[in-house]
Amino acid sequence: MTLRRPLIALCLSLWTTAGFASEPGQAVNPAPTPKDWAAIAALPDWSGVWVPDVVDQFRKVNTNAPPWNSKAAQEASALTAAEQAGHPKGLFVDCLPDGLPALMLIAHNPLEFVFSPGRVLVLGESDGDRQRRIYTDGRGHPADPDPTFYGHSIGHWEGDTLVVDTVGVLPETYVAVSESVGVANNGDLHVVERLHLTAPDTLTDDLTITAPHELTAPWKTSRIFYRHRERQYEIGEGVCLQGKFAESVDSHGDAVFIPLQYAADGSPLPPKP
Amino acid sequence: MRRQTAALILALSAASAAPPTAEAHHSFAMYDQTRTVTLKGAIKTFLWSNPHVVIWLEGAPITGGAPSVWTIELTSPGNLTRIGWSRTSLKPGDAVEMQILPLRDGQQGGAFKAAKLLATGQVLEANWVQQSQTGAHP
Repeated sequence: MTLRRPLIALCLSLWTTAGFASEPGQAVNPAPTPKDWAAIAALPDWSGVWVPDVVDQFRKVNTNAPPWNSKAAQEASALTAAEQAGHPKGLFVDCLPDGLPALMLIAHNPLEFVFSPGRVLVLGESDGDRQRRIYTDGRGHPADPDPTFYGHSIGHWEGDTLVVDTVGVLPETYVAVSESVGVANNGDLHVVERLHLTAPDTLTDDLTITAPHELTAPWKTSRIFYRHRERQYEIGEGVCLQGKFAESVDSHGDAVFIPLQYAADGSPLPPKP
Repeated sequence: MRRQTAALILALSAASAAPPTAEAHHSFAMYDQTRTVTLKGAIKTFLWSNPHVVIWLEGAPITGGAPSVWTIELTSPGNLTRIGWSRTSLKPGDAVEMQILPLRDGQQGGAFKAAKLLATGQVLEANWVQQSQTGAHP
């Protein structure tokens, strides 16, 4: 026992030094300098909470629909018909994140932008603490990024416009026009965004969405967000799965979450006291 | 044009409320946008939770019917907080008159439209979409 512990420590030490921490050429993020922080101060002021113009989301779709290919058009048409018949398919019913590009296109909850040396964070709420990380440190995309809901984003400033380039998005994320009409991007999605103020408290996201398996051409569209500075507008926690539970107390007197029960029609039943 | 916008806002309000189903993030389409049902009864449970707040109301339509439990959903706690709600806006036992957009299929559920607390006369509404539309800045 007394021998084994130093041996484990030695092995761990060799593994660490030989394999990872000191690997030559491994990229590191240097500590930000005062100059880096000063550069943040020179960026446009995007503080506050940005509420999407939800009515404009529908207006844009009605006047500038995605250029679906024939397969996607059929799927979108069937989903629209189901919605109009009162039997919508929910695209986001499983509590998985909206992902890109849906978050920027159809979300009903606001966003917050946090500038930091080397990155811009986009934070949100509602379906699971939305979080986009946009690297502005000059790096490129990885050669083969792990696909994720919000992909791998790199950005740079062109004047007061943040240009964001995103790849590496999971093929399952929807090119969505509403919460019940959208088609999976099915891979090779590429989203370019130009985010900029179009009025003192209006942020516009000009998007170019390339989804070669679903769209016949890049879809150029835009979305509008309005700034609020009232504290009651601040982004809150948004754990989607919490909605499937109620708070209760177990036999030990401990606070616990208990799963909600559902009626045959899918309606959640009131939790038992 | 104004009527169209009003109708859209109403529809979106319903969308924000989500239907009483087990699933989050629904479209509004299962609600009958052309009808409002007014219920009278008492709050059984007010579940202040993401992604959609749920009210269970024990009561009946004011036009008649046997009392039962109605499931009414709203938008998220965040969106409701932004228009002045809190997790204590409704409490179990509160007597209310509540307007809902009913489910098309006749089930006892709907999307929240407005509620009047009978003890105080306070009216609660949940039209957060209209507020976001105005871009109301301080």
